[in-house]
Amino acid sequence: MKGLASVISMEFRKILAYRSDFWVTFIGQTLIQLIVARSLWQSIFESNQVESMQGFDLNMITLYYLLVPIGTRILAGQNIGFLSREIYDGTFTRYLIYPVNVFVYKSTTYLTHSLFYCFQLFFIYLIYQIIFGGMTFHPEQLFLGVLIFFVASICYMFLCMMVELIALWADNVWTLMVMLKFFVTFFGGGIIPMDFFPLWSQKILALTPFPYLISLPVKTMMGLMPLNESITGIGVLIVWSCIFLGMLQLLWSKGQKSYTGVGI
Amino acid sequence: MIKVSNLSKSFAVYHKEPGLMGSLRGLFIRKSSIKYALHDVSLEVHPGEILGLIGANGAGKTTLVKILSGIMHPTSGEVSILGFKPWERSNQYRRQMSLIMGQKSQVWWDLPALDSFLLLKEIYQIDDETYQFNIDYLSKTLGIADHLKTQVRKLSLGERMKVELMAALLHNPKVIFLDEPTIGLDITSQKAVREFLKDYQRKYNPIMILTSHYMEDIKELCSRINIIRKGEMIYDGPLSHIQKLTGDTKHLKVTTKDGELEFTIPRENLAIKTKEIFESHEVIDLNIQDPSIEDIIDQILKHGLQKQ
Repeated sequence: MKGLASVISMEFRKILAYRSDFWVTFIGQTLIQLIVARSLWQSIFESNQVESMQGFDLNMITLYYLLVPIGTRILAGQNIGFLSREIYDGTFTRYLIYPVNVFVYKSTTYLTHSLFYCFQLFFIYLIYQIIFGGMTFHPEQLFLGVLIFFVASICYMFLCMMVELIALWADNVWTLMVMLKFFVTFFGGGIIPMDFFPLWSQKILALTPFPYLISLPVKTMMGLMPLNESITGIGVLIVWSCIFLGMLQLLWSKGQKSYTGVGI
Repeated sequence: MIKVSNLSKSFAVYHKEPGLMGSLRGLFIRKSSIKYALHDVSLEVHPGEILGLIGANGAGKTTLVKILSGIMHPTSGEVSILGFKPWERSNQYRRQMSLIMGQKSQVWWDLPALDSFLLLKEIYQIDDETYQFNIDYLSKTLGIADHLKTQVRKLSLGERMKVELMAALLHNPKVIFLDEPTIGLDITSQKAVREFLKDYQRKYNPIMILTSHYMEDIKELCSRINIIRKGEMIYDGPLSHIQKLTGDTKHLKVTTKDGELEFTIPRENLAIKTKEIFESHEVIDLNIQDPSIEDIIDQILKHGLQKQ
C-alpha cells in the first residue's frame, strides 16, 4: 500500500511539474469549452425558436457539454499511448526490471490522472452552479456521477490497455487508439446526447459498454437518470471491466514473449 | 551465481524495399527473415567477478543482457541467476538485480532525481537507514550531490548517467548488468564512472556483466571477457590471454627516408624481416611492439578466431 501511495504521489508531482500546463488544463481548456458550448447551443435554440430540445433546455445542454469533455478526460486518464508509446520506444522496460506488477503500476498512474480530473469536475460543476445557477444543487447526484465516472475509467482503462498491448506485435497502434476514442466518444453520447439517437440504436448500444462510459455518469450528475438505472449501470461497467481484464491477461501472457525492448 | 546453458534467441526481421514503391508494396507483401541473435551461448559468472562482453554492433551482447535481466524471453536454453529464471520476473529476483543502460533513462525525466529515488525506495522496500546511507555514499562518491534536486532532463549527459547509476544501485543489487554505461561521456566522466564502479565492486562484491565499446572500460574493470561474434561466443577467458589467441606476432613500425611502413609478422621471422628492411630501405627509425589488445580484438571481431 505504501508503494502504491508513492506511485500516486509521484504521479501528482508529475502533473504539477509544469505550472502553465497545469493551469491551462485545469481552467483554460474548460473555459473555452464552456464559451463554445454556450454560444453554439444558444444560437441553435434561437434559430429554432425553442425553449428545449429532447428534454434539454439551454442551461442543461451547456452543462452537458461542459461535463462531457472533463468526463472524457477522467475516462482517458493518461494520454493515448501510455503503454504503446513506451513499448514502441523501449521505456516500458523499466516496469519489467523493477519489482512491481506492470499493470498494477500503470493502472495506478492512469487512475491518478483520472482522480485529478475528478477534482477538476467537482470544481467546474460548482463554478457552473455559481455562474448560471438555475438548477438545484444535489450533492448526492454529483458524488454518484463522479463515482460512475471513476468506475467507467477503470473499465475504459482495461479496454485501452488491451488495444495498446497490440503494440507488442504491431509496433504502432496510434490509429487504433484514435478510432477507439472516437467510438467511445460518439457512441457514448459525447458528441450528441444519446437522447438524440434513434430508439433502435439506443437499444443496440445498451448491449455495449459505450453508453455507460459517458452518457450515464453525465446524466446522473444532471439528475436525469433514475437512481436504480445508475446503480445498474455501475454493475454493467464492473462486468465489462472483468471481461476486458480477462482478455488483457490473455493478451499479456502471449505478448510479453514478443517484447524485445527496442531502443535499448 | 549466473549459469547460462545453450542459450539461443532468434527473431523474425521484416524487410522493406526503399522508396515509395517499396512502401506501397510493403502494405501488402512483407518479406521477413530469421535473425539468430544468440546461438548456443553458455557461460558462468561468479560473485565478485566483472565479466566484459565484447562484440561488434549487432553481435548479440545486448540481447544476452536483455535475457539475463528478464526483459526478453529466449528461444531455447537455460539460465539460472541466484537460482531464478530471469524471464519469470519474480520480485525476489528483481529486488537483487539491476540494469544500467547507457542509452536509456530509467529515472523520470520531468522530476528531480530525489523524487525518483523516493519512489524506488518504496518499490525496492529499502529501509530508511539504508536509503539515507546509500544516497549519501553514492552521491558523494559520484560527485552529484548538488544536482539531486534538479529536473533530470536538465542535467548534462554525464550527470544523468551518474543519476542512473545511483538509481540502479540504491537497493544494493547482487547482480548488475551494465550496458554501455560510459557511452557518450567525456573522458573525465568516463574515468569517474569507472573509478566509481571499481570502488563499488570492492565494497559490495556483486556479480557484474559489462558491455562496452570502449576498451578502457573493459581493461580497467573486467577480470574476464567473453567475445561474441554473430551471436556465438568465440572466446571466454582473461583479457591478458587474448594476445595468445592470435599467435605470437610482432608489430614493426619503420620510418624511412621515403615514409613510414608497418608490418605485423610472426616472432620467428622477426630477425629475417628486420634484416630485409635494413637492406632494402634507408632506415631512420625502427620500432618493434606487441600488437595492442584493441587491434587483436578488432581482428577477431572482423575475421573470427580461426582465421588469425
